[in-house]
Amino acid sequence: MSEPVLDLRHVTMQFGGVVAVDNLSMHINREEIVALIGPNGAGKTTAFNCITGVYTPTNGQVYYEGRLIVSNQPQGKMKQLYAGTHKEFPKEIVVNTPDKITKLGVARTFQNIRLFKTQTVFENVLIATHLHKTSNLLTATLRLNHKEERQMREHALNMLEAVGLIDVKDELATSLPYGKQRRLEIARALATNPRLLLLDEPAAGMNPQETEALGQFIVGIQKRFELTIFLIEHHMDLVMDISDRIYVIDFGRLIATGVPEEIQDNPDVITAYLGVYEE
Amino acid sequence: MKIFKTIIAALLVVCALFMIYTSYTAKDSLPGLLERMDPQNLAETDSQMQRAKKRVTDGLMEDNKEKTLRGLERYLNGFADKLVIDTQVQYELFAYQNGPSMIAGGLLLLVAGIVLILSAYCKIAQARRLGIHVLLITVLFVGVYILENTVGANSMLMMVLKKGAIYALVAVAMNLLNGFTGLFSLGQAGFMLIGAYVYAIFSIETGNRAQVYQYYAGGLIQFSLPTLVSIALAGLAAAFFAYLIGLPVLRLKSDYLAIATLGFAEIIRAVFQYDGLGPITNGSNLLRKFPVFETVLFPFAVAGVCILLIALMIHSTYGRAFKAIRDDEIAAEAMGINLYHHKQMSFVISSFFAGVGGALLAMYQTTVQAKAFTAAMTYEILLIVVIGGMGSISGSILASFLFVAASEWWLRFLDNATVIGNFKVPLLRSGFRMVVFSVVIMAVVLFYRQGIMGDKEFSLSKLRDRFTRGKGGAGRV
Repeated sequence: MSEPVLDLRHVTMQFGGVVAVDNLSMHINREEIVALIGPNGAGKTTAFNCITGVYTPTNGQVYYEGRLIVSNQPQGKMKQLYAGTHKEFPKEIVVNTPDKITKLGVARTFQNIRLFKTQTVFENVLIATHLHKTSNLLTATLRLNHKEERQMREHALNMLEAVGLIDVKDELATSLPYGKQRRLEIARALATNPRLLLLDEPAAGMNPQETEALGQFIVGIQKRFELTIFLIEHHMDLVMDISDRIYVIDFGRLIATGVPEEIQDNPDVITAYLGVYEE
Repeated sequence: MKIFKTIIAALLVVCALFMIYTSYTAKDSLPGLLERMDPQNLAETDSQMQRAKKRVTDGLMEDNKEKTLRGLERYLNGFADKLVIDTQVQYELFAYQNGPSMIAGGLLLLVAGIVLILSAYCKIAQARRLGIHVLLITVLFVGVYILENTVGANSMLMMVLKKGAIYALVAVAMNLLNGFTGLFSLGQAGFMLIGAYVYAIFSIETGNRAQVYQYYAGGLIQFSLPTLVSIALAGLAAAFFAYLIGLPVLRLKSDYLAIATLGFAEIIRAVFQYDGLGPITNGSNLLRKFPVFETVLFPFAVAGVCILLIALMIHSTYGRAFKAIRDDEIAAEAMGINLYHHKQMSFVISSFFAGVGGALLAMYQTTVQAKAFTAAMTYEILLIVVIGGMGSISGSILASFLFVAASEWWLRFLDNATVIGNFKVPLLRSGFRMVVFSVVIMAVVLFYRQGIMGDKEFSLSKLRDRFTRGKGGAGRV
């Protein structure tokens, strides 16, 4: 077995006294589709934000393709306040801003769609090609980079074609129906040339038919771009359908992990979702 | 169609060459023409015509058709000669009087001819579009030049055009930051002040320094740089200060930039008046005797080139990144755009061009004093940006000229007490202009909330579409 694409080790995220993610350790192998599920407020999006650099975790480490991209230990006031269950602290401190992590090959979409509102569909995707530019401000201003510019545009068009939005490319991004906006977010993430794609509730607000189509779409792009996909989702049909493995968290803690069949019958998971019947 | 265009183009070119040629030769050819108009020569022609006329009458009397016709011919020839000389003299005199304008006009026709040929034979759409833009720019410059030569360099119109061009540059620079990158800065006057001072300090001629720095023993700097170098230095100095401010402030994720830049502008104004810096800044005294505008074309050219550079940058991949930051910082960062670097870039560039604008303003005012660069100046420019439309370069340009024209010229009459007959018009008195001006601005902001242009740009093809199709909503250009 080759090394995992993503490897979280004892990641804890604490806001003041609230432990949003507690001692989360997990890994994702190459070209796997892995789902992270859990009730509302379980800390799923916070875990995403720790991976992508939006938050720096209070404690723990994240490896991406064997490379340490995030590492932190409780500092300052947190030394006293720290309430995580894992008390071993890594020595190194590595903090990366989200743009650096995206450049390494980790792209993401957002739970509440975050498109560039004043831009067209095409421009939204084109912006995501900016990170691999080789031109500097001067050469770009004086149009000495026209070759690269043409490649950027071609790449953006390819991505739109891959998600089936090529015929609405000149429309304003916000004028698209909801489902297409979701696809556009995925196209935009793909345009950064990721190897790991993080999808935050891609099916939120979709009806069963749309959700099923989305599932096929995700599997399709996973095959086409040889991606590793890590997704948060509430639609259990979708999750059971497409994931190779599932992690379940509740109150920030990992409560179960395994293939879909195992998770379906896991009593802890059922308790977490439905609550305990107390006599 | 092709042939038609070619013929017109050829005509234009011939006309152009003729105009340029005559304006160069008018001075030399006029004496010869005048010689031909000499009273003696004219008297001779007159007597010849008298004789021809007599022949005609005689021929009629004798019923000799041949004689009559020949006489008539000579008579008319005499007329034609006089007419030709008359027109020629008038034309040459005109060319002599308006030589530079004639050359400019000829140049315009020449460019028009070339562009026409280009549009007829060139298959590359980009080249044709470029040609049309070159033609438009030529029309603008030639038009302004001819205007300057006819209405005079010190007329109100020229003043408005000069100041308008400077404000256009500064407004576009501010729009780059506020409208395109979504960073709110209020330091424009401060950066202009730096630009104006740096320009003045480096470009005062060495011989005049003793006079200007009379209280500071001729000042510290005893050399003088060429105008364009000083202007570039002015921009660089402003950019350097912006970089220093940006270092701490742009790492924060809120509107601290507005507070920091506003404070900076106030502090820098005081610092430049500080007596201890007198040998360089001349303390609170005026800086003067530096090169000023010789023609209105200079601010137009400098501001034009700068605005073109900004526009090219906004339409490059960096401009797209700026707009992404404006629309959604978090998403932009997730797309691999480094927020700090790009904000810093936008801020430094904007300040560079504000500095260049400050240098131009110094040239326009012919003197520089720190006192003039108040926060009110920043608000004027902010107003232009808002009225023109946040995120529209053409809107900012349009609004600057309108703003300057209205505040300096069109609304001036409101400041003069006016009496019509025995009736004294109420309200008109010194200061009323600003009241009306404020009301006008309020109306614009209320009813054109997006500004004149919104975030759209003026474009020829859209204008053409609108004319040919005859539709398209009002207010949406």
